[in-house]
Amino acid sequence: MLDDYLKANLASWDEAVGLHVGSQMYNVEGFKKGRCSLSDIELSELGPSVHEGTTLLHLQCHFGLDTLSWARRGAVVTGVDFSGEGVGAARALADEVGLSARAAFVQSDVLALPDVLQGRFDVVFTSWGALIWLGDLERWAQVIAHFLKPGGTFYMAEFHPYAFLLADDAAPESLRIGYPYFQYGRPQRFDEPSDYADPEAKTQHTVTFEWNHGFAEILDPLLRNGLRLDSLHEFPHTIVGLPFPFLEVCEDGLQRVKGHHEDFPLSFSLKMTKEG
Amino acid sequence: MTDPIPAEARAANLRLWNAWTRVHEKSAFYDVEGFKAGATSLWPLELEELGPLVHEGTTLLHLQCHFGMDTLSWARLGADVVGLDLSDEAIGLAWRLADEVGLSRRAEFVCADLYDADAHLGSRVFDIVFVSWGAIEWLPDLERWAGIVARHLAPGGTFYMAEIHPFAYGLDEVPGEHDVRVGYRLLPAPDQPVVEPLEGSYADSGADTTGLVSYGWTHDLAEILGALTGAGLRVEHLHEFPTSPAPFWDWMVRDEARWWWLPDGEGGLRGDLPLSYSIRATKPAT
Repeated sequence: MLDDYLKANLASWDEAVGLHVGSQMYNVEGFKKGRCSLSDIELSELGPSVHEGTTLLHLQCHFGLDTLSWARRGAVVTGVDFSGEGVGAARALADEVGLSARAAFVQSDVLALPDVLQGRFDVVFTSWGALIWLGDLERWAQVIAHFLKPGGTFYMAEFHPYAFLLADDAAPESLRIGYPYFQYGRPQRFDEPSDYADPEAKTQHTVTFEWNHGFAEILDPLLRNGLRLDSLHEFPHTIVGLPFPFLEVCEDGLQRVKGHHEDFPLSFSLKMTKEG
Repeated sequence: MTDPIPAEARAANLRLWNAWTRVHEKSAFYDVEGFKAGATSLWPLELEELGPLVHEGTTLLHLQCHFGMDTLSWARLGADVVGLDLSDEAIGLAWRLADEVGLSRRAEFVCADLYDADAHLGSRVFDIVFVSWGAIEWLPDLERWAGIVARHLAPGGTFYMAEIHPFAYGLDEVPGEHDVRVGYRLLPAPDQPVVEPLEGSYADSGADTTGLVSYGWTHDLAEILGALTGAGLRVEHLHEFPTSPAPFWDWMVRDEARWWWLPDGEGGLRGDLPLSYSIRATKPAT
């Protein structure tokens, strides 16, 4: 069954790559001219750990914009994504901006990565909309621990588990609950013919399976696999990308809950160190 | 250092906890008679997660211990315990209970505001520092709280807490329905206490609490875990649960193990939302 979920999600992501490369949200032309695709959250929190020659593994890298943005800052990067379309677009982009000497891209399901990739890294990085595509965070944590050097840093910036709980019709005066925090391993099935980066698009592969993960579900496997918690931060805003009607984009370009700009956490970051 | 709790909040919460102590002593929820007859007041959760570390002679500090039943339940399992609470009536009752059940030789109670713990405990350190159920909502400053926890833990010692989930504190009932929505701020605001007139007690919803007001503070998991790691503790686990030891609304449902759930049924949220959590952390041995 897990394979069926993976197949549906892969078809959706393979289709999304073409849409995203041409989308305003991803702004690939801006990136080619030098724009950094990383948000202030990961730049301020992980940036100081990334130097010339830092080796960085980016899990679930989509078509590599963020991976290559770390490479531009000196890192020697490896991006991993299960979508062949994504990895192909990433390689082409690396060529075009002259970063292919310090950027490699690997097509693999993140949970199967130790079968196809060698090496250990200073930093393992994952971000924004990655976790909901994974059903098994125990295995995910093992993969992260496997690829980190002793003393290495795991960093993630992600949508907050609470952001996925509110009902689609939640209003500022009544933030009703629409989805569970605990899913007990069972994914939610969605069937939507649009795309978060291009809401006007009519997609062919409309069915996806997604898992919301609570904090304990995220943190505990990492702790069990020998990573030490350095920091967990929660923010009342997020980068643009959640297609929920109860959110609005503010003047600073970040999304917040309508009528609750400071009250409700929409994103979080997690920094951990592999015991050396 | 200045007290992070404003004077009026401190006075109001002290009045409240003294009044609640009188209510709770007679409540079915606390079942003091059952405790005297030998029942533990601890939940299976903390017995399972912390119990294996409590042996004959283990030293245990219980912060915000109310009238000491949990503290004394650990003493019954062999621990040498110190309970600390702001309420003089609660501490008085704790001493009386300890006497009555024959545990006063291995139990000590300190009446003090949490933030004054250092002045009362000096340099004493413990194998375990224990915090549970409805404690940190009364504290505005978790960094200072975590500093107190860390200073009174022996090297290699264990901190354990079982608490109501920050998400649950943010929930409110939808009027007229057995349903919930997010009704309160979920992110911390140290300078904005939540000030509310009391309606009874969590242990006795019918209790007369006329004129009593509570001052509480919102916290989130990032703040809690950040405070503990910032104080030098190493987080060992975070567990989250869809159950609570006390009902937030009278339409919640109790199971055979006495945990309270959101109701099932059409649109029901049973098992869906985080209502409690536990954290275990250790102080590095060196």
